[in-house]
Amino acid sequence: MSTLLKREVVYLITGVVAVTMFIDFFFFPKGWDVASTLQTWAMIIGNIALGLGAVRLLLFYGKQVQKRTVGVWHYSVWLIVYFFICLITGLAGYITLGHQDKNPIYYWNFTNVYTPLGQALYAMTGFYIFSAAYRAFRARNIDAALLLIAGCFTLLTNAPIGEVIWVQIPVIGRWFLDIGQVPGMRTFMIAGAFGLLAYGFRALLGKEKGFYAEVGGQ
Amino acid sequence: MTKQETILDKMQKIDRRILYWVLFIGLMIPFVSPLGLPVAVTPSTVDLYKELTKVKTGEVIIINLAFGVSAWSECLPATVASTKLLFKQGAKIIFLGVHYDVDLTWAKIKDQVPAFKTLTYGKNYVYLGFYTGGEATVARLATSIRTVFPTDADKKSLDEIEMMKNVNVAKDIKLVLSSDTGDWCDYYIRQWRVPYGTPVGEIGIAMLGSSYMPHYQAGILFGMTVGVRGGAELEKLIGELGEATVTMDSINISHVMAIVAIGLANLGYAATVKRGGK
Repeated sequence: MSTLLKREVVYLITGVVAVTMFIDFFFFPKGWDVASTLQTWAMIIGNIALGLGAVRLLLFYGKQVQKRTVGVWHYSVWLIVYFFICLITGLAGYITLGHQDKNPIYYWNFTNVYTPLGQALYAMTGFYIFSAAYRAFRARNIDAALLLIAGCFTLLTNAPIGEVIWVQIPVIGRWFLDIGQVPGMRTFMIAGAFGLLAYGFRALLGKEKGFYAEVGGQ
Repeated sequence: MTKQETILDKMQKIDRRILYWVLFIGLMIPFVSPLGLPVAVTPSTVDLYKELTKVKTGEVIIINLAFGVSAWSECLPATVASTKLLFKQGAKIIFLGVHYDVDLTWAKIKDQVPAFKTLTYGKNYVYLGFYTGGEATVARLATSIRTVFPTDADKKSLDEIEMMKNVNVAKDIKLVLSSDTGDWCDYYIRQWRVPYGTPVGEIGIAMLGSSYMPHYQAGILFGMTVGVRGGAELEKLIGELGEATVTMDSINISHVMAIVAIGLANLGYAATVKRGGK
């Protein structure tokens, strides 16, 4: 691919899109058709990315199977098999009944396999957090001790039992939640926004080499 | 000669499997004997509730389902409570979602809100289904819902749906309620709240409480519920106790057990340091 396509066209597209969105935001309060069209394209690209993601997933796990990666490949086979079960049953439901969920096999899979697994995974994190808190929360110095105290008050504030233990616990805990942490979070947000702004300008001016180099494959 | 391990040393090194079992058994307690402790309502939930009670008959609301089935325990109770309240107010609700499993969440909401049995699809509520494309799509929704969703989830044209006839842009929507595990509420703040002034409320997992607190305090979010607790608070406010209220028992037990475990570990650690160990 020529350098023109690799870099210059990418510069141009990024620049045109960025300038269009700026103009739309600052000068067209009711929306500008050109910007709206670009947003629609972004939406379409987002949908195409879903399909691309599926292809990449199959390629990645297909390679794991091909290489017989120790301890992994049989899970990859299972993933690929399940991928096709969902795809075929879903498509069959869509084509014959108008919606994938109307295929009972597809729906059964989602409600009886996917849903319990998803919820179990989420619930298991509670056990990990419990164990991690036990191991990590040690008052090794004054900073760690302060973090520990704040953490304990926050935990007990979130649980109604905190108020039963001592009526002032939620008062102190709410101070940490509503006042203590907010300046820090605001600082993160504002600093992040400025950083993003700077990054946007650098990308727009072609100075953000990482972004363009990656696109250009250099 | 090696020092003999004391009970204080052992308190710092409890095997994780023992911790898991203790927590597991502890979480069983509410099933045998429910605690039923009262839940105090936080101001952010009260504000969300108050704003929802201001909705008038016929006004159109968007409920954005930005959580998957794994986060049902945290996001679903408050979403269900809000839906019940909004239907009581006579609101018309547009449901849409960003997770590929949103159809399951939609089915669950329909199952948990009795009002769906008496209300009419297309007149009182509509389900548009799944959408992707991130912030660009949220921005496009504000200028043309029909571009993103020419039809509802059952392929019926929006023009044929009664409640959607005069609804297409942000100004046609009274407010947006985003139920999140991630940053979709940010998109609605940036693409709906800031340019068009559409009020945005948040139903988030516990972790998002600190992230969105600055937005709430600045008045950008009209209210928010945080995690299961937020759901329990909203259930209390609407006067219909549900799943979140039941789950609060588990929250009580697990949080107290975490505090006890942390306390034991620190007691052991303090004793070790006092003896000159590390």
